[in-house]
Amino acid sequence: MRYRNATAYRFLTPYLLIFAIFWVWPIISSFMISFQATRTVPWRFAPGFNWGRLIGDPAFFNALKNTLLILVIQVPVMIALAMVMAVLLNSPLLKARGLYRFAFFAPVVVGEVAYSAVFRLMFSLDFGIVNKLLNSIGLPKIDWFSNVTPAMALIMIAVTWRWAGYNAIILLAGMQSIPEDVYEAATLDRVSKLKQFFYITLPLLKPVIVFCAVLSIIGTMQLFTEPFLITERGGPGGGTETLGLLLYRQGFRSLNFGYASAVAYTMAALAIAITLVQLWLTREPK
Amino acid sequence: MATVTLKNVVKRFGSFEVVHGANIDIRDGEFIVFVGPSGCGKSTLLRMIAGLEDISGGEIAIGGKVVNDVEPADRGIAMVFQSYALYPHMSVEQNLSFGLRMTGNPKADTERRVKRAAEILRISELMDRRPKKLSGGQRQRVAIGRAIVREPQVFLFDEPLSNLDAELRVQMRVEISRLHKELGTTMIYVTHDQTEAMTLADRIVVLRGGHVEQIGKPLDLYDNPDNQFVAGFVGSPKMNFIKARVVGHEARGVVVELAGEEKTRIVQPLADAAPETGSKVIVGVRPEHFGLAGEGDADLPVAIDVVEHLGGTSFLYARTANGEDVVIQRDATRVPDTPGITVSIRKSYLFDEKGLRLR
Ligand SMILES: Nc1ncnc2c1ncn2[C@@H]1O[C@H](COP(=O)(O)OP(=O)(O)O)[C@@H](O)[C@H]1O
Ligand SMILES: [Mg+2]
Repeated sequence: MRYRNATAYRFLTPYLLIFAIFWVWPIISSFMISFQATRTVPWRFAPGFNWGRLIGDPAFFNALKNTLLILVIQVPVMIALAMVMAVLLNSPLLKARGLYRFAFFAPVVVGEVAYSAVFRLMFSLDFGIVNKLLNSIGLPKIDWFSNVTPAMALIMIAVTWRWAGYNAIILLAGMQSIPEDVYEAATLDRVSKLKQFFYITLPLLKPVIVFCAVLSIIGTMQLFTEPFLITERGGPGGGTETLGLLLYRQGFRSLNFGYASAVAYTMAALAIAITLVQLWLTREPK
Repeated sequence: MATVTLKNVVKRFGSFEVVHGANIDIRDGEFIVFVGPSGCGKSTLLRMIAGLEDISGGEIAIGGKVVNDVEPADRGIAMVFQSYALYPHMSVEQNLSFGLRMTGNPKADTERRVKRAAEILRISELMDRRPKKLSGGQRQRVAIGRAIVREPQVFLFDEPLSNLDAELRVQMRVEISRLHKELGTTMIYVTHDQTEAMTLADRIVVLRGGHVEQIGKPLDLYDNPDNQFVAGFVGSPKMNFIKARVVGHEARGVVVELAGEEKTRIVQPLADAAPETGSKVIVGVRPEHFGLAGEGDADLPVAIDVVEHLGGTSFLYARTANGEDVVIQRDATRVPDTPGITVSIRKSYLFDEKGLRLR
């Protein structure tokens, strides 16, 4: 038995080596870097340097606030929207189901740069279709890129557009795994379709919803593309700068790897903490 | 309690017709069983009565009222599904009370009904458990309980026992029978198992390929089948069918020869017009209607392949001279230990080539 195990591990060695070098080591290494002052040559060990700065850095708190704000608004809205889309996709009345499924999934496949460019065009002050539409129903134009609140809203709209369909497909798969006869039994029990949704579909879908929420939380904690490309590096004036952007700015613009590592670890810790709270809140009753 | 009447009921899925005009009259308080091989349209019929499938043609009436356009919830029926279809995230108690709670039934009445159903089915100790934590038999009880709580006019069962093991199946069969006696409600029960049909039913509806083949009391179907299909489907082991030829007519009836020998001739009295001499017919003999040589109408020599001893009875698996398989039931004490015997036919049924009964 032991011999067989050893053989197996010998076959796994190449993979494990690569995994250790390119996966495990960077994680450990960045953790160690976060305890070093990296703006001096050579780097030196200074445990309080980055972490101390983090606690008092207004840029960090600004990025944290923006990230959490996006998280708190965008994730629930997106999952609710994804749920509506999944219900529609699941409806027996729907024709050309495959086409819709593809259409909902397509945003994930579209290149990030292309999608950001299109969003910038659509929301541009004078030529964008969104402002034209607002105008046509008698609302004033919005300068999406120069004011913080519209810029934040734009980020949330963009992220929601890109990921709602993806979550809808996951939710749809969950819905389709609920056996039809449970609904038939409820129908014979005189339970209305609406109540069936709230008392059967939602509770049975809870694990899938939690899964989507966790994925979305992790994704939004690392939000980078949209504020980088659509609102031009967290503009206006850092108004949409997220933790992901701060990390990038510190690590790759200022080449301050120690501080960037500390931010990265904070992001990961927050994502884990929020996820754990979420799992605890939605745990199965005994 | 209510009558259920099916008049020329047709079901099509797209252009594919699966039920071809069923006429069934179910009496108030009757236990009726739809039986037939899998795919013959039993579930489809039941689901049309429940309202879970549209009716493509004809009429279904419950309690004298045509329900074709009545919502399933308003038909006064309750259904027990083959897969139980319990609400997985609810306790047994919640499963039973869900429908009543959702429709605003008074709380005290809901509690009374749930308590009564739990007592009838002896599941009072399981009320706090989730379906996952129940055995198959317990789940089935909960599913039946959920139907009882609705206090329906008609119970519908779709193969409720087919997911249980053999022993539990017998036990639940008895319980369902008891339940029918206790409640006195009309029950429509679907199964592919003729034993279940025979033991439970007041009357049986035999279905094949979307046609009603025969409706009758269990023993009437057994003693007096209308056609070869019903004769073969009802009874276990199955009735034996032996090819034969009409060789003449007597005052007593038509003379049929089984295996080219004079001693294998049967004289069958017929009220209907007898088939012509030379025409091919089929003789049906139930395993228990074989006797020792000389005891019956005709003697049939057979070669024995296998003998199964079950204690009280034995089954002989044998072949006739023409190579046709027959099963012969004998008392255990009277099975000869020889490779071949001659058996007599004490009682037989005659069918024409198309399988219709000649009588
Ligand atoms: N939803 C459906 N769409 C198309 N054909 C169906 C559907 N449901 C049942 N059928 C067909 O109808 C026939 C009868 O089915 P069913 O009533 O389930 O048979 P049983 O319950 O007797 O086994 C079968 O040939 C089956 O394939
Ligand atoms: Mg069926």
